[in-house]
Amino acid sequence: MFSKILIANRGEIALRIIRACRELGIRTVAVYSEADRNSLHVRFSDEAICIGQAPSSNSYLNIPAIISAAEITDVEAIHPGYGFLAENPHFAEICESCQINFIGPTPSNIKLMGDKMVARQTMQKIGMPIVPGSTAIVKNKEEAIKTAKRIGYPIIIKAAAGGGGKGMRICHNDIRLVSSLMTAQAEAEASFGSTAVYIEKYIERPRHIEIQILADKHNHIVYLGERDCSIQRRHQKLLEESPSPFVDHKLRRRLGELAIKGAKNINYVSAGTVEFLLDSHNNFYFMEMNTRIQVEHPVTEMVTGIDLIKEQIRIAAGERLKFQQDDITINGWSIECRINAEDYEKNFMPSPGKIEVLNLPGGPGVRVDTHAYQGYEMPPYYDSLIAKLIVHGKNRQEAIRTMSRALSEFTIEPIKTTIPFHRQLMDNSLFLKGDISTHFVQEMFKDFETPTEE
Amino acid sequence: MIANIKEIKEMIALMNENNLLELEIEKEGMRIRLKKTPPGTEGALTGPIIVEKQTIAQSQAAGDERMKEVTAKAVEIKAPMVGTFYRAPSPETPAYVEVGQIIEPGQIICIIEAMKLMNEIKSEIKGKIIEILADNSEPVEFGQPMFLIEPL
Repeated sequence: MFSKILIANRGEIALRIIRACRELGIRTVAVYSEADRNSLHVRFSDEAICIGQAPSSNSYLNIPAIISAAEITDVEAIHPGYGFLAENPHFAEICESCQINFIGPTPSNIKLMGDKMVARQTMQKIGMPIVPGSTAIVKNKEEAIKTAKRIGYPIIIKAAAGGGGKGMRICHNDIRLVSSLMTAQAEAEASFGSTAVYIEKYIERPRHIEIQILADKHNHIVYLGERDCSIQRRHQKLLEESPSPFVDHKLRRRLGELAIKGAKNINYVSAGTVEFLLDSHNNFYFMEMNTRIQVEHPVTEMVTGIDLIKEQIRIAAGERLKFQQDDITINGWSIECRINAEDYEKNFMPSPGKIEVLNLPGGPGVRVDTHAYQGYEMPPYYDSLIAKLIVHGKNRQEAIRTMSRALSEFTIEPIKTTIPFHRQLMDNSLFLKGDISTHFVQEMFKDFETPTEE
Repeated sequence: MIANIKEIKEMIALMNENNLLELEIEKEGMRIRLKKTPPGTEGALTGPIIVEKQTIAQSQAAGDERMKEVTAKAVEIKAPMVGTFYRAPSPETPAYVEVGQIIEPGQIICIIEAMKLMNEIKSEIKGKIIEILADNSEPVEFGQPMFLIEPL
């Protein structure tokens, strides 16, 4: 087991990793930008190194600074968290060459699954159903139109090198397709440094179901149930739950076993998530694989009782997973609400600033993962996530009731947050019925939203 | 549990016997560092530096007799990167600069080693070195003060 780990991240996930390390008896090194000097992860780590100015490129994406910090503090491993360098194969390679253990999958796992088109092809080869789409990068409007004709409208243009909603355009006809192709390419280049885009059939009203897997370095892989992440806005998740209201035992096993097969095929190591889209006829299609720990990992932890961060660390240290597939059970229901510093009434406009009043909810079945504290100044340089509010109940109804109760206790002032939005969600009859798709939020906010649908 | 005087005396003896300039011991969550001033000066040991949590900047400043007042005219040259601070290009060669020396813009004042690369750090101002705030072959973090300069 490692004696010292550096956390190459910030905010709530840095704190989450520090907590796991504390319990495992591992010393922690935090790195921080000048804007994060008063951050909680800096306070709670054993050592802390300032690595640069506020902008991410100077700090949390600054590989030489992070590796240098790792060397001078003599750590054995680096946990990259999520975002930033977590899925940067170059960073993973540099760690390896500096003899620092990268707590995550191998550089080739990351590279392979990071190219969304290659990931599709790789999974298709082992029998994973994939969304009908272009078999290669679409370079010009002629290819685009040909592909669209073959698959049938509506289609969606996606960036080959990234996700998160950037470089995505939904098109219903040739005219729109031609104009969207260029804007999608430009957006893809700005976000991921590559104009490469591909085209997929656009599944209407899909549900986003993802399978969590854990793979050790001894070829043992298990799946830990699914998460339903259909509640999204502009392809950013707002709420996640486990299990999914649409997945029964049979489907769970089918998706889980396919996910394992896909992971085994690429010799995957560590935690990972295989994403599927479910259409209204219960057909499912492989979307992509995320080669990192995810923001929404707590809901899986709540229903399985397994600490995913600790398992990541154990796996990296060469330990075998201590459980078999049959040992994993899904108990009760968990929901997570992402509380962001955004004004949901003004189109979710970011609302950074100082948190003058903070009251965290508590009581049975409530877990809050946050780096916020009363008096904390939310910096404008990074994402707007303030806290993750996670609840657990015996069933979905109970979980929703607990979430509703917890949201009413959650006080963050004076900055604007998405708490009121989540409170509305808990009251929404369609949500309560479980009648949700990735269009849900858009439809909830028909008056406010301008979706990138053309 | 704070170390007792007997233990500290033993550590000092250990250092002297083996001609050590620096000794650091970590035990049960507590870390003690004893540092001797370099040879050539009348070597009084600086007192034991007992730290529970260690940030690099803290370890530089704690128990430090060199915290002089920063006059209105003095400016700090801070580390532009994370790494190990070296005062000279190699252990055998003399230091780039000394206290009292006048430096020019563009003059190399130190090296910060990061990822096995020696980065020459140059001064951006003309001035006189009042004090050297970082220790040779010690880690520095981004923004850590290395030199105190009186601009000229």
